[in-house]
Amino acid sequence: MANFAIDAVKDMTYDAIVIGSGISGGWAAKELTEKGLKTLVLERGKDVRHIKDYPTTSMNPWEFPHRGQLPFQVKQQNPIVSKCYAFYEGTEHFFVKDAEHPYVQEKPFDWIRGYQVGGKSLLWARQTQRWSDFDFEGPARDGFAVDWPIRYKDLAPWYSYVEKFAGISGNKDGIPQLPDGEFLPAHEMNCVESHFQAQVAKKYKDRQVIMGRCAHITKPQPIHLEQGRAQCQHRTICERGCPFGGYFSSNASTLPWAAKTGNMTLRPDSVVHSIIYDEQKGKATGVRVIDANTKEELEFYARIIFVNAAALNTNLILLNSTSNRFQQGLGNDNGLMGKYVAFHNYRARISADYDGDLDSTTDGRRPNSPYIPRFRNVHKQETDFLRGYAAGFNANRKSHADQSGLGGDLKASLLNPKLGGWSVGSHMMGETIPKESNYVALDKSKKDAFGMPQLKISMDYDENDEKMVKDYFEQMTEMFTHAGFTNIRTSDSKQAPGLDIHEMGGVRMGKDPKTSLLNEWNQLHACKNVFVTDGACMTSTATQNPSLTYMALTARAVDHAVSEMKKMNL
Amino acid sequence: MAWAVVGLAVLPACDFGSKKATAKAVGTSLSPSQEELLAEVVDTIIPATDTPGAKELNVHSFVQQMVTDCYEPKVQENLVKGLDTVEELADKSFSKSFGACTGEERIEVLRKMENAKEEEQKEFYSLVKGLTVRGYMNSEYVMTNLVKYEAIPGHYYGCVPVNEKSLS
Repeated sequence: MANFAIDAVKDMTYDAIVIGSGISGGWAAKELTEKGLKTLVLERGKDVRHIKDYPTTSMNPWEFPHRGQLPFQVKQQNPIVSKCYAFYEGTEHFFVKDAEHPYVQEKPFDWIRGYQVGGKSLLWARQTQRWSDFDFEGPARDGFAVDWPIRYKDLAPWYSYVEKFAGISGNKDGIPQLPDGEFLPAHEMNCVESHFQAQVAKKYKDRQVIMGRCAHITKPQPIHLEQGRAQCQHRTICERGCPFGGYFSSNASTLPWAAKTGNMTLRPDSVVHSIIYDEQKGKATGVRVIDANTKEELEFYARIIFVNAAALNTNLILLNSTSNRFQQGLGNDNGLMGKYVAFHNYRARISADYDGDLDSTTDGRRPNSPYIPRFRNVHKQETDFLRGYAAGFNANRKSHADQSGLGGDLKASLLNPKLGGWSVGSHMMGETIPKESNYVALDKSKKDAFGMPQLKISMDYDENDEKMVKDYFEQMTEMFTHAGFTNIRTSDSKQAPGLDIHEMGGVRMGKDPKTSLLNEWNQLHACKNVFVTDGACMTSTATQNPSLTYMALTARAVDHAVSEMKKMNL
Repeated sequence: MAWAVVGLAVLPACDFGSKKATAKAVGTSLSPSQEELLAEVVDTIIPATDTPGAKELNVHSFVQQMVTDCYEPKVQENLVKGLDTVEELADKSFSKSFGACTGEERIEVLRKMENAKEEEQKEFYSLVKGLTVRGYMNSEYVMTNLVKYEAIPGHYYGCVPVNEKSLS
């Protein structure tokens, strides 16, 4: 019997455990297995195999019983996730339904989640911009949060490393606050977008309109073909999963790559309860898992643990990992875990018409759009609010049919639509300032279906965000007016935090263990064999879509972890 | 396989009731004659010409399914009520059933509902018309035969002269 017990523990033991299989967990899996580590990847949701488990990927519009619309009952039962732009009849199976994983909204927060192998990497908007030192130096310069323990030079080679593998398209624009990367050919702008680009360049020395940099393979390189991925086919139904692997997802890219090494064990339906801390050894030894199907509690062991459960769930797991040594959460000696969470402000939109370029239109579809890098407070503080915003921009021209008729007239009109004028639009992506008063914590009384404490979320906008919305409207109105756009309309959705799906922080990186949870290598200061490389590690939010930075931080942290293991420091 | 070794501890029982709770859709059960009437209504909105009309493309079934699944009970009730009104108006104006009316007479009946004082009639009109247009334009026949539908464009060209672009 004794031997059986030893064997049992041996069977549950790996070199490394990765919690989560989304965009950063997938990268951790790839890097660890490539470096020869036997790696267990735990995913709380169901398995989603590339192509095989994309049930709607090849469906035509008429094959959806409700042509994309969700049944009344689904919307009624899911008021939160129904607010997400990407949640529809073709994608609903990839989103967490409201009742599946309840949480406490101390303040309104729309928590959008994807519990499955691949996580939200199947669903993301695929925009991938690098940070610059204007972002990493932000907190220190402007006096908020804590100083980042790293600078651009630390991450630059890792950006290059992940970009080449993931496949990022874009132009080398030479903009200091948005460094260039390893780009595949960029998507085209249309005539009106080029017009706006030229008009903005003419009027403002410090403002640029560029083509968005995005994780689409516009020209496959050998490394992409080796992954079994092909050129993006411009279907623009990415969120259903792409059978071509045209955009980057864990399912199409990092996870199959990790599987090919023979070193990965992927275990779906595994809800991580907590991380096991061994006081004698002074380090984490494994994780407790609840099997989502059988509800059994299992333990798995490893020398190092990567926590990539998605920003807020990473907070939840660590806060729930209590021991005699860490009574308020693993590595949470300073009590700051869960605090200083932040997000991106996506409330503001502006739209207009354009009467020019009527002799031109577009052909095909584009899974991307132009981008306006942050231009406010970049080189110095120049407004009455801190930091700034980036913006999306696009122009499009649609055909319209007069639908006032009935009978033969209506039919003829529907089948002979007239090309309308150009419409232009932009949305704001504002940096929010992490504050102690914005936090997540464990609710003392409420539990979820797995007996886990529910997460209490308390995040809100502040005066800085309001000023920024106002400035975005003013500046964009000025830029639109200058470009000759007319009928300019602004709208503030007042949407709650969360719908941006860019929640970050709570387990922030920093130089000082007194004021941060993670060091410059994403290791918990107080428990060095636990690494956090998803959104939870973010010290500040900048304005860029964050996923590319999580990928780079993850690859860098794995490289450090494995070299430390070789030196027997871990 | 590591997870073959199980059974270290089973967590305390939890409440899974909420996860399984499902309510039944109310459902719009139209009688066969109401269904036939709905088919005549959608075929009045988009009739057969040298190409099939909405009835032949089974758009009335789509309208019925949409109202059943995607709208609140009040709207479902108004569909039935509106169909009754269609018959009443046909009888009042032309002393015959909607089905026996000419194409022009049918359009007149629907126009009366569009311009009616009663909100319910207007709502019936815009609901059925909107769904008919949607069901027709998104039908396999129309998408594959009558309009330019590109499932896989394979490209995006930003600046194309208007006169060279085939307008759907």
